[in-house]
Amino acid sequence: MDRTAVEVRSLTVSYGSTPVLVEVDLTVPLGAGVCITGENGIGKSTLLRCISSLQRPDSGEIEVFGGPPGSTPEFWRAVATTVEPPTWYPGLTCREHAELVCRAHGLDPDDAGVDEALERFGLSGHADAIPPSMSSGQKQRLTLALVLLRPSRLLILDEPEQRLDPEGRATVAAMLAGYHAGGGSILMASHDDTFATAAGTSLIGMAELHTLPA
Amino acid sequence: MTAVSVLQVRRWVRRSQAAHKERGETLGNFYFALLFVAIVGGMVHRQIAAVVWPGHPTAAPLAGVSFAVALAGALYLLLRRAGPLALSRPASSWLLTAPVSRRSLLLPSLGVAVLVAAVAGAVGALGIMGHVMVHPVAELPLLGALGAIVVLFVALAAQAGQWWTELSDNAAYLLIAAGLAGLVVNSAADLHWSFDARSWVVPAIGALALIAAAGLAYSVRTLARTPNDRILEAATTAGTLADAAFGVEPSFVTDMIERRYWARRKLRSKRLWARLPVLTAQDLLLLRRRPRRLLWLLGGVALPALFSSAPAWVLAIAVLIGGLVAGGVTTANVRTDTGNPWMLRMIGLSSREAVLQRSCVPMILAGFWSAAALTMLNLLGTLPAGPWWLLGLALGPVGGVAAVRKARTGFVDNGLMPLDTPMGSFAIGPLIAAFAGVDVLLLGVPSIVLIGQGGPLSWNGVLVQAAVAALAVRAYLAGTTATDRVELTSH
Repeated sequence: MDRTAVEVRSLTVSYGSTPVLVEVDLTVPLGAGVCITGENGIGKSTLLRCISSLQRPDSGEIEVFGGPPGSTPEFWRAVATTVEPPTWYPGLTCREHAELVCRAHGLDPDDAGVDEALERFGLSGHADAIPPSMSSGQKQRLTLALVLLRPSRLLILDEPEQRLDPEGRATVAAMLAGYHAGGGSILMASHDDTFATAAGTSLIGMAELHTLPA
Repeated sequence: MTAVSVLQVRRWVRRSQAAHKERGETLGNFYFALLFVAIVGGMVHRQIAAVVWPGHPTAAPLAGVSFAVALAGALYLLLRRAGPLALSRPASSWLLTAPVSRRSLLLPSLGVAVLVAAVAGAVGALGIMGHVMVHPVAELPLLGALGAIVVLFVALAAQAGQWWTELSDNAAYLLIAAGLAGLVVNSAADLHWSFDARSWVVPAIGALALIAAAGLAYSVRTLARTPNDRILEAATTAGTLADAAFGVEPSFVTDMIERRYWARRKLRSKRLWARLPVLTAQDLLLLRRRPRRLLWLLGGVALPALFSSAPAWVLAIAVLIGGLVAGGVTTANVRTDTGNPWMLRMIGLSSREAVLQRSCVPMILAGFWSAAALTMLNLLGTLPAGPWWLLGLALGPVGGVAAVRKARTGFVDNGLMPLDTPMGSFAIGPLIAAFAGVDVLLLGVPSIVLIGQGGPLSWNGVLVQAAVAALAVRAYLAGTTATDRVELTSH
């Protein structure tokens, strides 16, 4: 049985001649919540992208649930992420997107609470809207609603509080805390310490992860 | 408020732009454009001339009239899609909001639109004349040009937002459908119907000239009242077309049309059919929301009959391409997944399962369409006896897989090495993109042979086609998808 959700060892990534991550180590124990903080450009998103297998590091090792991250269905059934910008299907409403995700994971949309989730995220009035017609904040809420509706063991979220109003932040933080309390692991990057604490994650500065000075 | 002269502003913009360019750059661009037209014209002028003006007119008058009707409908829709009143993106951002005379700002666009419509109408009329009339009437291209200008003025009035705008668009679709129906009737039935254009062409020109003059006067007077949002929409269209042409990326235009279509629709959430695989259920929902496309498919069943008198292999290829088009009705979902696999990762299905589920509706549509088209050809007497409907169903997987493959092509790869030919080098990325999907139609070769033979269709022939199609689906899935990968493309 794996003890850690995420294990990163000596991760190095450079963009051209600019090193972004130098010998980075990170451990997220199973069922833990970790929030990485730090100023813009310090490499938070790059780290999350590498852990989500969306970017190949120059060197170093990454393990997610004891295995290498990859593009396998098993990996993506265990991991839900908002690291990449979402895409939406043409002619499919918000509610139908949510139902599609639930059904693909073998869940009945009513049992999974699609309508309740849309309600909690303040989207019940937009259930029949197509996502591209909504504001960026509403799209962010829908993305988070989908991520939390589907079953997963690890959430990898890049600044989930982005584009949300204060009420939305509080709702999302409470839902993440609920996910964490239910045994799920969370790894996220954020600029809002209050939000991260309310979501039940422990803060860790990006600079502390570098074992060597950049 | 005093309006600034647009001419002065535009002159200033041109001068400022010229200051950043090298000396003679504009002249150089103009020269190269002219050279390009001259070279391409020199290469294909015989072919163009043969299309527009064949030596011996063979088409019946009904074909000519039907083609004119369909052309009018198509021209109207094209003009409506383009604006017809459009500005460049920079002009729409800076000059539309500036205190300049809107009429002077939009007048050049009107001029361009009139010119384009007139040329299109004249060439169309010339082509019809060349194909239909044994004794050409010299005034017919003028009639065509004037007719097209009248169509333009209707489109211009529709752009300003009238109660009949949507009705006119639907009427244009009906014109295209009626024209195509006329062409089908013409090729299926041997009609002997003739008319003499000489008796009415001059009065018709007079009447159209009067209407066009009145339309021009009205359009110039009301030009400034064209709503901003319509001009901005047309400017976006023009910009997207320019991007698509510059980047050789037609998907920019397809995406824009798709986005606009859904933005206008008011949807109500429906439940996905629980008994079906989830992605197939989603495709069916999309199909249900595009009833007009289904109607076009239904009408399109008759189109292969247009090739009744062409060689049998041309007829067979027309049926295969029709199957590809029919299969493409719901493949917008595949295009979305190819462009960005975010939802596929969210769903967590393997690429093999996803493509298999997404191929079901295209294969069924292509199968039913091909079956209907071949049955129609059989009923019209173009094809001899035999279970043609079954051959059509056997072609379903070919059309379906071809449509899915076409949708999975993604963006044009402009990074590929250009191909050097004696006439210069050209990029192969767009060529590969254009033929993606069409190549799969090669698996319909048994059908091409069966139709080409001209004899009655045997059950063995159907069996061979069905076996090839089944093997093709299997090979396609095995070769391009994987059970341990979510994304549709392997990197």
